[in-house]
Order: sequence, then structure tokens, then C-alpha cells
Amino acid sequence: MSTPTHDPHPEDRRTPGTGSANPGTDPADPTSPGSDPAGQGPASARDSADAPGAVDADEPPAGGSFARYFLRKLGGAATSMILVIVLGFFAFRMLPGDPVLKIAKERPMSPAQIAELRSQYGLDKPVIVQFWDYLVGIVTGDLGESYVYRKSVSALIGEYLGPTLLLTGTAAVIAIVLGLWLGQISAWRRNSLFDKLASSTSLIFWSVPTFWLGLILLMIFGGTLQWLPTGGMITPGLDPWSFAGIIDVITHLILPVVSLVAVVYAQFLMIMRASLLEEMNEDYLTTARAKGLTEDEVRRKHAVPNALLPTVTVVFLHIGGLIAGAVTVEAVFSWPGLGKLTFEAIRGPDLPLLQGTFVVFSAIIIVMNLAADIVYRFLDPRVRRA
Amino acid sequence: MTDLQFEDVSITYRSSSTRGDVVAVENVSLDLPAGATLGIAGESGSGKSTLIMSALRLLPKSARLDGRVLLGGQDVRELSFGQIRAVRWAQASIVFQGALHSLNPVREVGQQIIEALEHHSKGTWTTPQKRQDRMFELLAEVNLEAAKSSAYPHELSGGQKQRIMIAMALACEPDIIIADEPTTALDVIVQKQILTGLARLVAERGISLLMISHDLAVLSAVCADLAIMRDGRLVEFGPSDEVCLAPREDYTKQLAGAFPQIGDPESRLRPKTQRPAEVARAEPFTMTDEVVLEAKDLSVSFDTRRGRERAVRGVDLVLRKAEILAVVGQSGSGKTTLARSLLGLQEVEEGSQRSFAGKPLPRKAKALRTFRRQVQMILQDPAGSLNPKRSVYEAVVEGLRVQGIRDREYERVVGALEAAELTPAEDYLESIPQELSGGQRQRVVIAGALALDPQVLIADEPVASLDASVRGEILSLFLALKKNLGMSALIITHDLGLAWNIADTVAVMKSGEIVEYGEVDRVLSDPQHEYTQELLAAVPRLGSQSLVRNE
Amino acid sequence: MSADTPAEAGPGSPSNGPGPRGSGPRGAAPRGANPAVDGAKLVRERRLNNAKKNWALFRSDVPALIGAVVLLFFVVIAVAAPLIAPATMLDVTKQLDVPRYAPPSLDHPLGTDDLGREMWVRILWGARVSILVGVAATVMSMVIGTIMGLAAGHFTGLFGGIIMRLIDFFIVLPSLLLAIVLSSVLERGVFTIVVAIGLTSWASTARIVRSQTLSVESRLYIERARILGAGHRHILFRHLLPAVMPLVLANTTLTVGGAIIAESTLSFLGLGDTSKESWGTILKNSMDVSAATSGYWWYVLTPGIAILLVVLAFTMVGRAFEAIINPALRSR
Repeated sequence: MSTPTHDPHPEDRRTPGTGSANPGTDPADPTSPGSDPAGQGPASARDSADAPGAVDADEPPAGGSFARYFLRKLGGAATSMILVIVLGFFAFRMLPGDPVLKIAKERPMSPAQIAELRSQYGLDKPVIVQFWDYLVGIVTGDLGESYVYRKSVSALIGEYLGPTLLLTGTAAVIAIVLGLWLGQISAWRRNSLFDKLASSTSLIFWSVPTFWLGLILLMIFGGTLQWLPTGGMITPGLDPWSFAGIIDVITHLILPVVSLVAVVYAQFLMIMRASLLEEMNEDYLTTARAKGLTEDEVRRKHAVPNALLPTVTVVFLHIGGLIAGAVTVEAVFSWPGLGKLTFEAIRGPDLPLLQGTFVVFSAIIIVMNLAADIVYRFLDPRVRRA
Repeated sequence: MTDLQFEDVSITYRSSSTRGDVVAVENVSLDLPAGATLGIAGESGSGKSTLIMSALRLLPKSARLDGRVLLGGQDVRELSFGQIRAVRWAQASIVFQGALHSLNPVREVGQQIIEALEHHSKGTWTTPQKRQDRMFELLAEVNLEAAKSSAYPHELSGGQKQRIMIAMALACEPDIIIADEPTTALDVIVQKQILTGLARLVAERGISLLMISHDLAVLSAVCADLAIMRDGRLVEFGPSDEVCLAPREDYTKQLAGAFPQIGDPESRLRPKTQRPAEVARAEPFTMTDEVVLEAKDLSVSFDTRRGRERAVRGVDLVLRKAEILAVVGQSGSGKTTLARSLLGLQEVEEGSQRSFAGKPLPRKAKALRTFRRQVQMILQDPAGSLNPKRSVYEAVVEGLRVQGIRDREYERVVGALEAAELTPAEDYLESIPQELSGGQRQRVVIAGALALDPQVLIADEPVASLDASVRGEILSLFLALKKNLGMSALIITHDLGLAWNIADTVAVMKSGEIVEYGEVDRVLSDPQHEYTQELLAAVPRLGSQSLVRNE
Repeated sequence: MSADTPAEAGPGSPSNGPGPRGSGPRGAAPRGANPAVDGAKLVRERRLNNAKKNWALFRSDVPALIGAVVLLFFVVIAVAAPLIAPATMLDVTKQLDVPRYAPPSLDHPLGTDDLGREMWVRILWGARVSILVGVAATVMSMVIGTIMGLAAGHFTGLFGGIIMRLIDFFIVLPSLLLAIVLSSVLERGVFTIVVAIGLTSWASTARIVRSQTLSVESRLYIERARILGAGHRHILFRHLLPAVMPLVLANTTLTVGGAIIAESTLSFLGLGDTSKESWGTILKNSMDVSAATSGYWWYVLTPGIAILLVVLAFTMVGRAFEAIINPALRSR
């Protein structure tokens, strides 16, 4: 299909691989370089500089530019963002029927309050006008006013964004390093005791809800042993930029990070393990062995760099899951981040706030994926120059 | 210098499945004295690859080796892992099939050559600078620009990758080079370049060469001695001229038959086979003047990422009743696209004319479907052309069902299978494709087309993916279909020998254009166009180490 | 070119010119007896043999067997819940004499909750909703995912492109986030949870189906079907769907686990049906009374272990199915 190897599923990887490794052997494929009539295009012109008698009739053409790749990915991200925005409007303004009545059903309100809320939401205007106002609001950063906090949603999100980034960022780095490292050892020594232990542990972690793991950790280390704080980000009154403050934040960070990491690293381990196993029967490893490399060198220099490629895309996709996992973990540990804010908004129910956190969460994830696509291009020469 | 000896080698793969242990190689003894060139020919499953992997102890752990493999008089099994690593590439190196996945896709090819030098510096390539110089020197040896060293494998063509593999094999100045199907999947012209290059480099350095291939002609063009393997056993061994031109064993004769000498009247319209198809008509059909399928000024373009490309340019073709027309060209010449567009599977450019029996090709989906009853196509790979989950009956009946032909289904299927000479047809009806051999599968595919009673068969490389010994059978079936049923056929191939074997007329395609078109006898005996001459010259001939000596 | 006159005299079209050995299919007409019955028997035997082989493979996979037993156990207790523990045992007003927060003991095997209800009864009744939601949401997501994946893999051009983008969108956005949105704006209830999970979790199935469709689509037998004159319907239903079905079924088993976790998460966030027991609701209740920090460990532990067991069981069985379909995975 379109780009080589954006599809994150490891099984897909082979399709672009064989396609590019075998130029000119598939005349039925119109995009195959083989159907390039020789003598046309810059590639063949350059080839005439080759030594006489060795002109390659099947010289493959050069690859596309970075700008084009970037624009295509940017276009994809923009489409996703537009879908999020439309979905945000559709879900919060259209689906509930009358959002104000819905709020009114869950909290006692007088008719006057209802009317006031209604004009505040602009519900008395036609749908098209509402949608336009909503669009203008998003572009100007105005996401409406929270019903519960009585504050502007954008201000609230700005306030709570930092802690979430700190939590998910730390968890992501640890999970990636741990998962990829254990995954490659697991695959290389498959069916060893280490592999069996690592695989079954990760299966167990994969089979529990993130928040339950959080609750268990909270129970053991916060409740029973009382080694670590049970909630919040910092002990009130401490200056977060002082040394003691930083240590305090770190102790608050440990439990939520561990619960997030436990579930996600297991997925990374399984992905890394599967894609390395996939690489292990490849012919170029035989070439490397025939050259006299040790098994360790074969793994480090040849197998792992190839296995990392499909893994990277999947890993970045799962970061979205990690951010979603933050909703429950922040709720369990009262971590003052966007997840906690979402949790409060659900309990409200505070639809403007929920809409705001949804749009912001989605935007973060879409930007992360765009970044992943760009990083990927630098990692995989086949995407870079094909 | 180092000798390589296989002494009574047997290799068994232990398998946990119900089939038990699989014997891949059985009691093979072969000698490769220093400086010799030896070719091992065999079809898939003959054990030839397993045998050569044992020379450097590269077999998987599940393989058990009996007998002795001696490298320079030393049993490779007795070496420690460190010792065998030192021997690998320094004493004996392997040229793998470069066109496939033998190069690491994410590392620059120059680095992959240097890596070998780092492990076997032999006191010569001790510094990064020296290794880099050596790498450039090697690239020059195999006629590649220095700039290619920073290319990734996917940026190179099949021929270029193969040359990188050869450069890499030469890097540490080994005594023995083992070449594993070095030209499979390459075009004949590129193949000739690679083979002559390899033969020259090996001869200059006095390196001994052990080459394996399924292609007897390729081996005999380069190697002085030939060994034929089948089902893990050595069938025949001798000087390559003797083995190719005066084979003793039936099996060798079959293999050699797959490479007709173009211009040899004995093989003209007579593919060599042990099992020729039956011609039952007292007066077999021969080529007529009645035009069945015609193309005028046919052009096809594709939109690709690099802009619009014309795959077929202004082709004029005529297929008459009971004519076999061979369209010969290298991969990328547009011949498959041409075939697909004749079938209406491919959009053509404005101004292209295609007609069947005097009427232009229909455009609407429904009319096209009816048209396809008349013109059928056989695809390249019979294994892929059959749904692995469907039985032979279901495969043959598919066309009838799709076309809405409901009456006498069973008789039609059996009749088609018998016309394709898969007899007795009843025995095969419920087989699934995996239970059939390559030749049988191709017969099922042909029967599937015949069930619709077509007037024209278009075949895309009908024998390219089959073992050489089956080739003659299938080709003779095409001849028999023409003679018995008066069927016309357009056969797409890269193999000039095939045209010589069965075709009435031949069209030579290059870069989407037909450069030469006419009767087979005339075109192949007296080629006018430069490209046809080049193609003919590149076809490896049996015996006489032609590529080595002609240089 | 040379033209042979005798041949010209031959039939103009093969359809009316039976040669001595019969022009193709027609010559075989006299073969009257219809041994197709034999054929049907052979097919049946082949299927039976396949089933036997697969069962033998499954049986040799010990974790999958254990998983199947665990699943069977939970399904039985879920179905039989009203018989084992009548609904009155959940009625708070009838539990006034039962101690609250009683730790597990002989009298209260899994302990009691903040309202004096037996934990084991809640787990029993919770199994009904949790498993039902898991299976129903999975079925919904499988149907959507299969249709979308097939369409994205088979159709090219604008239509295929739009579906591709849609799949990409749902892959990038975590389904939990979308499910939160959906279930918070719709009426609370079990059906809403099913829809919220089913509508948002199909993308990974669609991706797997799409990649399988693409790989099948590139096989020559699809091209051959086109040559024989087949249209989209024939190719989609005769070749592509049968080829992706085994994969979808294995994937279903694996996805049920994910759906059960999603259900518990939504219920935990308070988006579930509060009037019905589910494992997620129990955990939400435990959180509401700060059971984790107050030492009521059984309140937190039991529902989580139930989730773990069922999800792990589904995963084990699913992996065994996957290994049967794809022998390449067996070594893993």
C-alpha cells in the first residue's frame, strides 16, 4: 500500500521489505522499480557513469524527499486532529441530546439556572452557529467554562498539564528501556528459564487493570508498610524547586510510575520479543555468522537494529494507551494531573471540562505519533530513501 | 591452499513432528581440490544447500552430521567455536543469494564488507583506513562505484547486491568461495555479467569455487566439474561437458533437456520430456491466418511515486487461431502488463486498440466477464494460483460458477482435468493443492482455464517456477492443446529456449516496446535487432564452460 | 506467416468443434455415474482429521487447557449465580445483622464489604455483567473490525483511502479515552458500556484483518479469480473472508480479555451501571471507602484476582488458537 512500514504490526513489515529488496522481479507490480523503463529517469542517466561493460539495466531509482514524507504525515495528523475536533463537538453537543438537562438530572437546579446555563452554552442558537462558535473557541484557545470549578477550562488544563507530562514521561522512558531490554534477551534465549519467567510475568501484568495494580501498590507500600506517600504530588508547604522538594516529588512519583510501567512494559517486552524472533530466521544473520561474528555480535549488530524498527512504531502507539492509563492511576493516587481532572469531570458530570481534556489528550497523542513517524524515518533507511 | 572434502556425509534434521527425522543429505562424497571449480546441480529439496552449509558448520542445531567434512585436512566438527569462527570467511567464504535477504537491510553495504575485514584482519587490514581502502578496492574489482559503499541494500538492484556479496566474499582473500544460487532471480544479461565477473576473479586468484544452482546451464558455463544431486544423494559426477552433453542417468538427461540449444532442429517444437502429452487428432491443428486477438498501438502508463511511467508503448500484436506466440523480455520490460491489458485487467491509454475476434474489447464489467470466458490466463506460480483451502474440484469449478455455467458441472470439470492430462481425474478431485507436485498444480490451473472452453490462453512464465524436469511436460501440454483443440496461446517468458521449444512466432520486448517480431525460426536464427542478439548471447549454453572460455 | 489450409477448414470456434479426444470438457460427457458422493465424504474426512489434529494441538498446550477449565468454571458460576446465591443476598437492607468489613473467615469465605454484603456473592453476580459485557463488546468490535479491515484491504482508491484513514485515527487514539467520552455522554447502563467499548476497540482487529487481506489479496489465486471473471462479491466472500476468519476468531478470544479490563476501568471511573454488580463496580466501591489504605485488603484483592484469572484464561486460550492457525508462532 502506501508508505513502507508505517503499519505498526510486525507481520506487515515483510511486505515493504521484500518489495524493496527485490526490485524488478515483479513485473506485475506497477510501482515496482522494475517497471521503470530503462533509459528513462535520472537513475539510469547516472548509471551510465558506471564502468563500461557493467551497466546495470536494473539500476533502481533514487528515493523521495523528506519534505514530501513530512507533508504527508503532517496531513495525516491534521486529518486526525480535525476528526477529534468534530468528534468532540458531536459527542458532547449532539449525543446527550440536551447537555444541560443531563446535568440538571444529576444535580438539583432551578429553571432559572437551567436557562442561564443554556444561554451560556449557546444552546439557544442553531447547530451550525454553535459549531462555528466551538471552532472559533478551539482556535483561540477558549474551551468554555468548567461547571464544577467555575474556571476557564483552558486555564485548568494549563495548570494540570505539567504533572501529567512528568508522570507519563517518566513512566514511558522507564517502560521503553525495560521492555526493549528484557524483550531482546527473552527472544534471544527463547524457552530458557529467563524467557519463561519474563514472558509469564508480562502476561500477568498484561491481564490486570492498571488501576487495580495501583490500588494493590497503594495498599502494600502506602497503607500497610507506610513507606511511601499515598497521594498527591508534593507534601503541602514544600518548595518544589528545593532539594527536599525534588526528593519529595520523587517519592510521590514512585507508586504511580510503577503501576503505569508494570502494565505497559509488558506490552513492549512482548512486541520486542516477537519482532526479534521474527528476525532470527533471516538470511542476513547467516551471512553475519558465516563472516565469523560471535553470537553476541550477531545479535547486537544485526538482529536487534532490525527488530527495533517495527517495535518503535508500536511502542509509540502504545504511549497513547499509557496516557489513557494515567486517568485511572492519577485518580487512585490523587496525582494533580489531567487524568485526575478527567476523573473529576466524569464525576461532575462536567461536560465542558471533559470535552477540553479529551481534545487536549488527543492532541498530545497525535503530536506524539507525528514525532514517532519522523523519528522512524531517520531510523529506517528503507523509509528514508525509498 | 585449502582443499574441501566431503567424506561420506549424511545430514539428518531431527524433527519433533510426526514425520520423524528428515534425511537431507545421504552418503555424499565430493572433493574440491585447491583451485578447482565444482558445480552441484539439483532441484529444490535435493539437499545441496544443506551440504554446503556444513562446510562452515552453519547448520542449525537440529541437524546431525555423519561422516566427515574436511577443510584443509581438518575435520570442521573438531574445531572449537573460536577456531571455526577464525576459519569462516578467512579460509572459505560464501556468496549468498544477494537478491534476497542476505544483506542486512539497515546497514550500509560498505560497512558490511568492512565488518568482515575487522574480524579477519590477517595482519594486513589492521587500521580503519586500510580497511576502508580495501573495501573501495573490492568495489572496484566488482565494477561498482565507490559511492555505492554508502548505499543501503534496498537502494541497489539485484545485480548490484549480488556484486556486493561477491566483493564481500573476496574481502579476506579466502582459499575457497562457495556460491549459493548466485544468479537466481536475475535477468540473463545481468546473470552473464555476474557469472563472468565471478569466474574471472576466481580464476585470477586461483581460488577454488564451489557453486550450487538448480540451473545446469549456469553451472556448466562456469565450472569444470559437475555433480548432480537428487533427494540428498549424488546421482552423477564428472567433467561438466560429459555430464551435460552425454549424461548417463535418466534424471540428468531430464535436467539437461530443460536447456534446449537454440538453433538445434531436434528440439524445435519438441520439448524434451519423458512424458510427452498425447496428440490425439489425426490432423493436428496448425497456425492459421484467422486473427483472434489483436492489439494496435497499445500503450499503458502507471502513476507511480516518481510520476507517470509508460510500461507499454505503442505495441502492435496479432494472435491467430492455433498460433503460439512467445513474448520474450527481461523483468521490467512490460510484458506482464501487456498480457494483463490484453485481458482487460489493466486500463490502457487513449488511442490503444484491443480487439477480440474483430470486435473491440468490452468495457462494462458484465460484458468483460463474458469476454473472459474466451480468453483465459495462466499465472506464473501454480502454487500461489490455487487457494490452499480449496480442493482441485473447487478450483476447477470456480470459473464455471463465476460465469454462471451450471449445467453438467461435474463432466466439465473432469473433462478439463483430462484435457490438462491430470489423469485419472477422479483421483485428484478432492486433493488440496499442498498434496500435489508443482507440475500437477500447474495442470490444475490450466484445467481451471480450460473448463471455460476458451479460445485463447495467455500464460505468464508458465514453467519458470517449476522444477526443470517438469518443464518439458508442461510445454508439451501447451503444444498438445494447440494441436488437439486449435487453441491459440500467448506465452510470456524470459526464456528464449521456451520460444524455441514451442512457439510459432516470437516478439522480443524491451522497455515496453517490441523491438523484434516474427517467426521463431527467423528471429532466433538470424536476429536483426541488437537487443535480441545480446539476449541470445547471454543465454548460458550447456557445457564447455562457455562463459569462462569465451572471455 | 505460414497458414495451413486443412486447419482453416476446421471449426471456427472451439465450442462447436469436438475433436477426437473431445474438445476439453465436452468429450467426457458419457462418464455418467456421479461419484461426487465419494468426494463429499472425502471432504468430511479431511475436515474431521483437521479438527482432530487441532484438538490434539490444543490438548498438548497445558496453559490453554487450564485456561479453558477456568473459563468454564466462571461461565458456570455466572450462569448459575441466582441458584447459588439468591439476589436477596445482595440486598443491603437484608444484611443488617452481618458484620461490615469482616475479613475472610469460615463464616465469610471472601470477607464482607462496607454494607455487610458477602464478597463471594458480589463476585459471583459481578461475573455475569463482566463476562457478558466482555463478550458482547468483543463481538461488536470484531464485526466492525472485520468489515473495515476487509474493505480497507480490498478496495483501492478513494473509498479504501477513507477507510484507511478512519482505521488510523482509531488506532492512534486510545480506545479507553473514546470509550470514556461515549459512556459519559450516553445514558448509563450495561448496553452503553458494550457500545462504548465495541465502537472504540475495533481498530486493532481492523489492522490485523487488513494486513491479512492485503497479503491474501496479493496472492495469485485472487488474480486468477479475476481472470475467471469474478467480481468484488465473489472475491470478498469466497476468498478473503474465509482466509481472515480463523485469524478473527483467535483474535476474538484475545480481545475479550481487553474488553473485560475496559469494562472494569469504565465502571471504576463511575461510568458503569451502578445498579448492577460488576467487578469494576466492586473496585469502585472499594475505592470510595478507601479500602486500600484502610486495611480492607480482601475488598481490593478479590475482584482484581477474578479479573486476572478470567483475562489470563482468555489470553491463554486465544494464544493456543493463534498457534494452531499460524504454525510459525508455535516455537514461541
